[in-house]
Amino acid sequence: MSDPKSVITRLHGAGGAYMHNLIKEYFLQLYDGYGEVGLDVLDDGAVINGIVFTTDSFTVRPLFFKGGDIGRLAVSGTVNDIAMMGGDPIALSLGVVIEEGFPKSDLAKIVESIKNTVEEAGVHIVTGDTKVMEKGSLDKMIINTSGIGVASDALKYNFTVLRKTRQVKYEWLVPMNLRDGDKIIVSGNIGDHAIAILSSRQGIEFEINVESDVAPLNKMMKAVLEVGGVADAKDPTRGGLADLLNDWSEKSGLGIYIRENDIPVREDVRNAIEFLGLDLMELGNEGKAVLAVSPEMARDVLDTLHKTPWGKNAAIIGEVRKDIQGVILETAVGGKRLVTRPVGDPVPRIC
Amino acid sequence: MVECYKIVITGIVQGVGFRPFIFRIAKRSGVKGYVKNMGGSEVEVLIQGDKQNIGKFMESLFKDVPEVAKIDKIITEETECGDWKDFFILPSGTYVKEPSQIPPDFAVCEDCMREVLNPQDRRYRYPFNSCVKCGPRFSMMYTIPYDRENTSMRDFPLCKECEREYHNPEDERRFDAQGISCPICGPRLFLSTIEGEIIDGDPIKTTAKLISEGYIIAVKGIGGFHIVVDPLNDDVVLKLRKRKNRPQQPFAVMAQSLEIIENYAIVNEKEKELLTSPQRPIVLLKKREDGESLSKYVSPGLDREGFFLFYTPLHYLLLEEFPPHLFIATSGNKHGFPMCVDEQCVKEKLKDVVDYVLYHNRKIVNRVDDSMIRVSNGRPLLLRRSRGYAPLWIQLKNKALHHDILALGAELQNAGAVAFKDKVILTPYIGDTDEYSTLIDLENYVLKFVTMYSLKPKVVVVDKNPAYQSVYLGEKLAEKFSAKVVKVQHHVAHILSVAAENGIESGVGIAIDGIGYGDDGNGWGGEVIKFEGVKYERKHHLKYVPYVGGDVNALRPRRMLAMFLSTFMDWNEAGKIAGIKEEEARLLEKITKKPGLMTSSTGRFLDAVSAFLNVCDQRTYEGEPAIKLEASARGGKLLDLDIKVVGEEIDTPSVFKWLIENRGRYRINDIAYTVQYRLGEALIKTALKYGDKVIVSGGAAVNEYILKGMMENSEGAEIILPRKVPPNDGGIALGQAYYYALINDTS
Ligand SMILES: [Fe+3]
Ligand SMILES: [Mg+2]
Ligand SMILES: [Zn+2]
Ligand SMILES: [Zn+2]
Repeated sequence: MSDPKSVITRLHGAGGAYMHNLIKEYFLQLYDGYGEVGLDVLDDGAVINGIVFTTDSFTVRPLFFKGGDIGRLAVSGTVNDIAMMGGDPIALSLGVVIEEGFPKSDLAKIVESIKNTVEEAGVHIVTGDTKVMEKGSLDKMIINTSGIGVASDALKYNFTVLRKTRQVKYEWLVPMNLRDGDKIIVSGNIGDHAIAILSSRQGIEFEINVESDVAPLNKMMKAVLEVGGVADAKDPTRGGLADLLNDWSEKSGLGIYIRENDIPVREDVRNAIEFLGLDLMELGNEGKAVLAVSPEMARDVLDTLHKTPWGKNAAIIGEVRKDIQGVILETAVGGKRLVTRPVGDPVPRIC
Repeated sequence: MVECYKIVITGIVQGVGFRPFIFRIAKRSGVKGYVKNMGGSEVEVLIQGDKQNIGKFMESLFKDVPEVAKIDKIITEETECGDWKDFFILPSGTYVKEPSQIPPDFAVCEDCMREVLNPQDRRYRYPFNSCVKCGPRFSMMYTIPYDRENTSMRDFPLCKECEREYHNPEDERRFDAQGISCPICGPRLFLSTIEGEIIDGDPIKTTAKLISEGYIIAVKGIGGFHIVVDPLNDDVVLKLRKRKNRPQQPFAVMAQSLEIIENYAIVNEKEKELLTSPQRPIVLLKKREDGESLSKYVSPGLDREGFFLFYTPLHYLLLEEFPPHLFIATSGNKHGFPMCVDEQCVKEKLKDVVDYVLYHNRKIVNRVDDSMIRVSNGRPLLLRRSRGYAPLWIQLKNKALHHDILALGAELQNAGAVAFKDKVILTPYIGDTDEYSTLIDLENYVLKFVTMYSLKPKVVVVDKNPAYQSVYLGEKLAEKFSAKVVKVQHHVAHILSVAAENGIESGVGIAIDGIGYGDDGNGWGGEVIKFEGVKYERKHHLKYVPYVGGDVNALRPRRMLAMFLSTFMDWNEAGKIAGIKEEEARLLEKITKKPGLMTSSTGRFLDAVSAFLNVCDQRTYEGEPAIKLEASARGGKLLDLDIKVVGEEIDTPSVFKWLIENRGRYRINDIAYTVQYRLGEALIKTALKYGDKVIVSGGAAVNEYILKGMMENSEGAEIILPRKVPPNDGGIALGQAYYYALINDTS
């Protein structure tokens, strides 16, 4: 592999430490102070004039995988980014870049999937763009979606509940709202998407039978906000829980304590992780949310999650704590481990 | 005519009775003046007298230096005379010119034991007896210099009698001895249940009785708690294993005398010397095949037993009351966690492990584990550098640093270091820093040394492995000190750790190891590396085999075996021979088709051989399959086997071809012996191409058969092994510090 110091490598695209540094080094300088929640927060989206605005590009390989495809992912990804700010997503743009020679039959399948997912989420594609590029200049297809959303009544209600427990500066779901004692809730099983993609790629999908969890979560989030007391929400996509929780810890200045035994994981996913030498904390998900909720409301939020189709396996996995630094994982065997941002491929550690 | 001289003496001259020594020879030779500690590792002496007196003084100074003192240099200059009426010991100076050497903890000396055993002595049966030559030091020090107020003995004001001894210059053993005490003024012993209920009566006698009744006792010692049980009773040892969740890892056994140890183990001269040294390490000794034996659960599957001698009067008295005169004394921790140093920790962390707690009220300031050592082919090799050895500094012979630096070692069985000028100070053994509380321990020790030595670190040296928590800590500390981070390849550091203590700046080294992060992202661990300064070239390595899934292969030797076999047979068959599940073999076949992680680890090779021979196919402690393979080679004979070198690669997979072809033909010990010996032979032969002095380091460098294969095929070349630090990852920090010294950064 080429040297990540001098050129961009795939490590920079994997979420985690490299990407984090890349963004800080190159893109953060573009921030000029604009927006209620601006570029500087580096959150899922921005807020300008009361509107949530976000964008995302999708490069997943293979384009079709167990439980989903690039079309469903492109819609869900942007819908979720808006929902994780607390916004109610309304409309999306759709930009498609296609490689010369791409089969029309595949394109039709992807568009069909986009249509279904948009309906599921209750949002609208309102504008778009299509480019075709010379064969070899990209690998099959890239999709970009941008989207806007607004503050719903549910979000306002959420903050009237949250205000009983703390002072709130932003009436959006951002990490600065976290406080000591908040419960960390994950909305369901971790790792399904990562393992589904990996098994499709390695040609071992028949040995490891797991479907991606890719789904739009805006309706789930709405149900949760109607209960109230949510300080922040974030989706553990690339870089998984490790990246997300480090983000929270850094931006809130608080520590986060997680119990491995409480993290919901499918049995076969757990086996696959062990087998492939992967770290549960670093696995990407496309249909999960992690919530920080005031301790008073955590139980109610959890009960509500359990009643939605997306949150059946939701669980409290830890707490925000001011007495520790960084992210600490209590391991299955009772040890403690510092969780850092992922650095790329799994590396052997045992001597 | 009266002359005056100022003498500055540098070395281990504090905490070893050096000032009293100077005082006595001054009195004897009739000179006047003073002696004082300079707050560093320096003592300043002023002498005033005529030529004859001064001559006498100088002669004694060179001739009669106390045994434990180590003098680095003596500078003498003529000076103006004051008007000294007598010879005085002046209070310690506060300015620091040369920083002080922190004295390590010493075992109780013979003189002190004589008092403890003498019914007429006022310290008869006193468990905490010590003198100027012996007793705890570092473990009870808050800061330097070593003065009573800087130790946890400040909680025990001297009684009249002790005070008299302390101020009496004629008292060779107690004058100005910082740690002394007696039954009247010193620390006290208590015995309680784990719930905290105090048991009345003689705590030592009661404890000994409880041990013989099969109870598990936590005993507070010098640098932490031991867990003590009867080593002859199978049920008790098994109970301890279950409670400690430690199914196989051997327990160390403490004995009252060398003679008792010799009933169970073969002890050669070198080992005797180590056992009885003031450091009193645990020594891994060959079990006797003819003599008595401990419960077979003390060290299952091994041919060595870890023995050490009592090192405090408390241990001695306990052993005395417990008739077999030896007991298991394993460190008082939960598996993977640091050893407890206070009662609170025992009550919380060991509540499901121990039944009773024997403790005292002297605070343990610094955790100090028992050191561990073994002798392989006549070479003493440290496995754990702690009590008695740490934190003595290691002096670089040929280089000096231009900045203060920190080095954080690797990850498992780790130790860190601080370094300044030509001195590298390793922390005592810290443990596995993948555990958060142990990582915090590493941070605390390093920061403590930074404060004690008033350092301003400008560089933090770490391993290249991005998954090590010590690397993360290094980056954090670098930020704190605005220091720069320097990363060193793991096996280069292994080799340089040996080069450091020998002042070698270029040469060739063999690193035989578990796994370290390689420059190509693969798991290295069987490397022949040529180096010149900090430039290095990897000349040869064990043949790469797939390491898909990383660490899981270390935990499951059978899977590792399948990896080796798959390099020359189809996966289906490899899986069958290795004994892994069919579906796992099928999966591995598909995954290994794409390029992925590879390894050249020696440890994993030994693991796979161990699994093939059914010696061990589970790893419940670090190195277990390889250690048991070594044990299984005892009494083996050398067979025909040639491990070929093809280009850069040493063909280890071919060993498995040989193993399959010769299945059932030879005894296990002959096979195990041959494989290890031949690996050593192959490695040394490749290394000889690059020099006639070969450094050998890495975790597997303690393996006596690999070493033997090297030594017997070295064609007269010198084989250099580490002496001051362990060849395992406990020595990495020294190599890292030396690496930076070799960069010679003056900026
Ligand atoms: Fe190593
Ligand atoms: Mg959010
Ligand atoms: Zn003594
Ligand atoms: Zn006394």
